[in-house]
Amino acid sequence: MASSSSTASSGTAARGASSGAVRVRRQLPTSPWLFAAPGLLVVGIFILYPFVSTLVNAFTDRRTLIPGEFVGLANFRELLHDEMFWIGLRNSTLYVLGVVPALVLLPLLLALLVQKNIPGIAFFRSAFYTPVVASIVVVGLIWVWLLDERGLVNSLLETIGVGRIGFLSDQWLLLLSAMAVTVWKGLGYYMIIYLAALANVPRELHEAASVDGAGAFRRFLTVTVPAVRSTMVLVGALSSVAAFKVFSEVYLMAGPDGGPAGEDTTLVMLVQRTGTGLTGRVGYASAISVVVFVVTVALMLLVLRADRKEDA
Amino acid sequence: MPRRALAAAVVALVLPLSACGSGGDEGGSTDASGKVEGDITFQTWNLRANFKPYFEGLIADFEKKYPGTKVKWVDQPAEGYADKISADAAGGTLPDVVNVSPDLVAPLAKAGLALDLDKSAAKYKKEYLPGAWASHEIPGLEGTYAFPWYLNTGPLFYNKSLFKEAGLDASKPPKTYDELFDDALELADKSDGKVATLANVPTIEDFGRYGVELMNKEGTAFAFNDAKGVELLTKYKELYDAKALDSQALTATPESSGKKFLTEAVAMNPGSALDLGNFKKQAPNLYKNIGITDQITSTGKVNMYVMGVMVNAQTKRTPAAVAFAHFVTDAQNQMSFAKKVAIFPSTAGSLDDPYFTQEDGTDETRVRIAAAKSLKNAVNYTPVLFSEQMKTELRNSVAKALQGKVSPKEALDNAVKACDRLLQQQG
Repeated sequence: MASSSSTASSGTAARGASSGAVRVRRQLPTSPWLFAAPGLLVVGIFILYPFVSTLVNAFTDRRTLIPGEFVGLANFRELLHDEMFWIGLRNSTLYVLGVVPALVLLPLLLALLVQKNIPGIAFFRSAFYTPVVASIVVVGLIWVWLLDERGLVNSLLETIGVGRIGFLSDQWLLLLSAMAVTVWKGLGYYMIIYLAALANVPRELHEAASVDGAGAFRRFLTVTVPAVRSTMVLVGALSSVAAFKVFSEVYLMAGPDGGPAGEDTTLVMLVQRTGTGLTGRVGYASAISVVVFVVTVALMLLVLRADRKEDA
Repeated sequence: MPRRALAAAVVALVLPLSACGSGGDEGGSTDASGKVEGDITFQTWNLRANFKPYFEGLIADFEKKYPGTKVKWVDQPAEGYADKISADAAGGTLPDVVNVSPDLVAPLAKAGLALDLDKSAAKYKKEYLPGAWASHEIPGLEGTYAFPWYLNTGPLFYNKSLFKEAGLDASKPPKTYDELFDDALELADKSDGKVATLANVPTIEDFGRYGVELMNKEGTAFAFNDAKGVELLTKYKELYDAKALDSQALTATPESSGKKFLTEAVAMNPGSALDLGNFKKQAPNLYKNIGITDQITSTGKVNMYVMGVMVNAQTKRTPAAVAFAHFVTDAQNQMSFAKKVAIFPSTAGSLDDPYFTQEDGTDETRVRIAAAKSLKNAVNYTPVLFSEQMKTELRNSVAKALQGKVSPKEALDNAVKACDRLLQQQG
């Protein structure tokens, strides 16, 4: 009896212990979710929902004030025949090709210059970083004033007999000018990233190369570049995505129409122009956004894949 | 279990959000005959900076006239105003009373968000100039969708000093398009291409003023690619080639071309009485040499800009919203506003006030009187269905013609085709 009672009580205890264990197991996964909930909510509302919504809208003929209906791939088919889409794709691609090499190389050279600890170098580091913190609108306006037909640059060119150049009226010069502004504004940001990378390059490697008779250029190629290669890949990936999505510089310098006859329009400008306002074609603009998304992801993968191949 | 909980949380999050957006026909009554009471919101378009005391006084007067009402005034910046309205309209947060222009009213009326005043406020119709009241009618829809508010028009300003330098008679500014084009070519020639006469490519209102038929009579298709339209664009191409049109005209905005005139880079620019004050303050040298002449038209009717005050069709306080929109735009308040800024009232008889008819010897008064006189048969040449996207299509096509990439005829054909497609997509 006693034994059976004991068995019974131990059985109850076991069940109790078992149910207690279940409670513990249930509590464990819930609490992290509760902690993560505020963050998840923000991500859900401001990132996930707009992303999913854009994807869904890309397959509809939704307009700003009209919900629209499912149209399948019609928006994407229309894109293929839209001259402005191809102009946008061309300009965004050119932007990547023009800006990324400069933003990979020039900030590295700048970082090498300001890396040295000499008196007053902090001033130069700050000066080079200033454009990064300046508002892009202010930067854009200043450059428009500088490059205007009656601006400072053209006045100087006229003084030295070159004559006025239509930086803001010629389709290609306008795009080049916008690229120059993007590079000018991005130099300081990437310089800081390179400075961090350069600080980790062992000094002994440079010293060994010097002992072996390598000059400054040789040391740069054989020591510095391999040491910061992964940072260069990172800068390449970041700047190519940013360049492909360029909007502000071109918008401010070329105007809302995207330069003469819209020839300087980029894809993101086209999204803005097509999808906003009371008569905006939200569905069509979403389809362009999906293309921008796919291309930027492809760019990232391409750069990272190239990096992996180098490693192999 | 947590996965299910997470999925449920995501669904719970996304479902209510997916209900956001446009549509939803729940809303207020169209009957404005009830008691005027309750809280309403009134949105203006970049007016707080200069006219705060006027609007605060206006609101105080309304609240005094109708005890039990409360008006919350919000003002939005000029930049991106249409985007702000579209975001509010799509999100269901459009204010009860909104300052609009006819092209903004059209899509809102089509989406059922603008109250038809012919149904809800027909008794006020006789208080306004017939043309002004009609300016908020939308082709394809029955009704009128906003109270007309202030009107604006203006002369053509020219720089006498630049005219004299080119050997032109500064006391005889161009009065016809032919004279304008001849003078512009001469100015460019004499200044060796350094002084352009105009800084903007032709817009839809320029085509209208030139006598081009902009749309078919039913308002279902655009028609500005007719012979007259091609003629105007061909003339502009001549100007562009001769540098009589500013080289940056292809990317110009009204603001940038205004600056070109202010810095004496171009010889002529359209403007209003308000600009005279700016010239005096910002460019005294230009002000000393300013010439003022009438807008050039082939139709005999100048272009006018119309502002309106719309009532949100989904307002829960229709009587108060209609009463306030009428109050803002009634003869007394429009007159009072007109005396604070160089605009013109849209109410019947107001333009006969001595303020708009009696000279006092100043340039400001001369411009005001001339403008008020011309307003009596002025036309808003911009079709209400002409959206921002259509304006871009036209500007880009015109730019291609000026660059010589396509012929003027081909450019206008392309623009009409693109605008018709956008018109059909608007529904």
